[in-house]
Amino acid sequence: MTEDFILTPAIESVLAELEVQRKKIASSKIQGWGAIILGVACFAIGAILSQAIIAIIGFIMVVPGVVILFRISDDINQYKYRFKQEVIGAALNSIHQNLTFDHENGISESEFINAQLFAKTPDRYHTEDLITGKDEKTVFYFAEVHAEYKTEMQTKNGRQVQWHDILKGIVFSADFNKNFNGITVVRPKDFGSSIGAWFSENIYSFGDKDIVQLENDYFNKNFVTQSSDQVEARYILTPAMMEKISDLNERSAYCISLSFINSSVYIAFPLNNNYFEPPVFDTLLKPDLLDEDMNILTFMFLIIKELNLNTRVWSKE
Amino acid sequence: MIFVAVIAIAVLIFGIGIYNSLISKKNQVANAFSAIDVMLKKRFDLLPNLVETVKEYMQYEGDTLTKITELRGKALGANVSESAKLALDSQIGTAVKGLMVSVENYPDLKANQNFLNLQSTWTESEEQIAAARRNYNASVTTYNNSVMMFPGNMFAGMLGYQTITVLETEAEERENINAKELFNS
Repeated sequence: MTEDFILTPAIESVLAELEVQRKKIASSKIQGWGAIILGVACFAIGAILSQAIIAIIGFIMVVPGVVILFRISDDINQYKYRFKQEVIGAALNSIHQNLTFDHENGISESEFINAQLFAKTPDRYHTEDLITGKDEKTVFYFAEVHAEYKTEMQTKNGRQVQWHDILKGIVFSADFNKNFNGITVVRPKDFGSSIGAWFSENIYSFGDKDIVQLENDYFNKNFVTQSSDQVEARYILTPAMMEKISDLNERSAYCISLSFINSSVYIAFPLNNNYFEPPVFDTLLKPDLLDEDMNILTFMFLIIKELNLNTRVWSKE
Repeated sequence: MIFVAVIAIAVLIFGIGIYNSLISKKNQVANAFSAIDVMLKKRFDLLPNLVETVKEYMQYEGDTLTKITELRGKALGANVSESAKLALDSQIGTAVKGLMVSVENYPDLKANQNFLNLQSTWTESEEQIAAARRNYNASVTTYNNSVMMFPGNMFAGMLGYQTITVLETEAEERENINAKELFNS
């Protein structure tokens, strides 16, 4: 995931135009936030010293700051739009002509829930930057997803809501190369799931999916596999497929989750970065600007080959 | 007193859980074996169609085709034990594999859509049987662990349950099954 991406002259020319826009936005942001911070500081000092004039000056300083930020919001949207459309879109085509980029759409919340990649259902969900493509016989798509659940605690100061990540990263989906009817999920093994797996195996199994004990030690150590059909789970997770998934997991920063459902494979990659976003306070004119974005893209594209999804020797075409 | 009663109930529930789990694992083994049987039946059902399709083209493979038909007849015959059925399936698998290799010499057959469909269904059945065998072995291992380990071994002794031998893994199941190689070698 560390290959360098060479910028084409067409992309470089768009970046040069966008750099002018970026500088204007960065300067406006500094002015706007500067005015707000100074204004709030004056207001606070005025309030502490009981000096109404200082507080009023502080309040007056905040107003132009807010106005500046409000006025550049359209510019920011346009800047982001052009970057995604004209830079990321063009860069995608240089990797594969079949790739399309839709930064306003993603993987719907209902699809995310139905994919059963995680046991928890999100209370807050955001998705963007949908990339779709077809490699030989395999249709695939992926998008950035931020799914969170909330917990509420009663404290002295009232009810406190805390948000926790279910996934902040990328969900990848591709047409699987074998026919299957059931549901098989492969989730990271943690303390809770290990206890659940032991209970399900030794005492009683709740729910419609049973634990699948597989022969691959790495796989069993890192994942808990559950399926509605034990034979089908092994038909999907052949020894070779388990090796490939293990390899994919090793190359990912955090433990991945997979599900095989509705004739498709879904893979969730937790990631630290928000990809495909233009910088505001850093120059666009650096050669490694798109390296991280393109590396993640190439990685997703390679999954098809890594998992041999184009091999259609089974009855599925 | 209540405390003792609660403990006693908890122990009883736990005991029932272990007992039921052991029975369920034993049933699971039987179930897993019947899954292999279903897959074998499905595979044997493909053979008449396969033989019928290829015999028009493969004039020089008459012996292999006759052998496959005979083996199928034996496998589907009455009173054939499960282990014999698995051994026959292994022989059928080898014969069909040989047949698929010979396909290279018959370009017309290679282009026949019906044959291509049968070829992919055959590969699918190979992987399904491999999956069913792995499932059986996993069920046996889980069952054997319960029978041999505490606390399951206490109930296993009372029920007269004994360990079961796993099926030997075939070489193909250990390898990365690649049908392209299988058919194009």
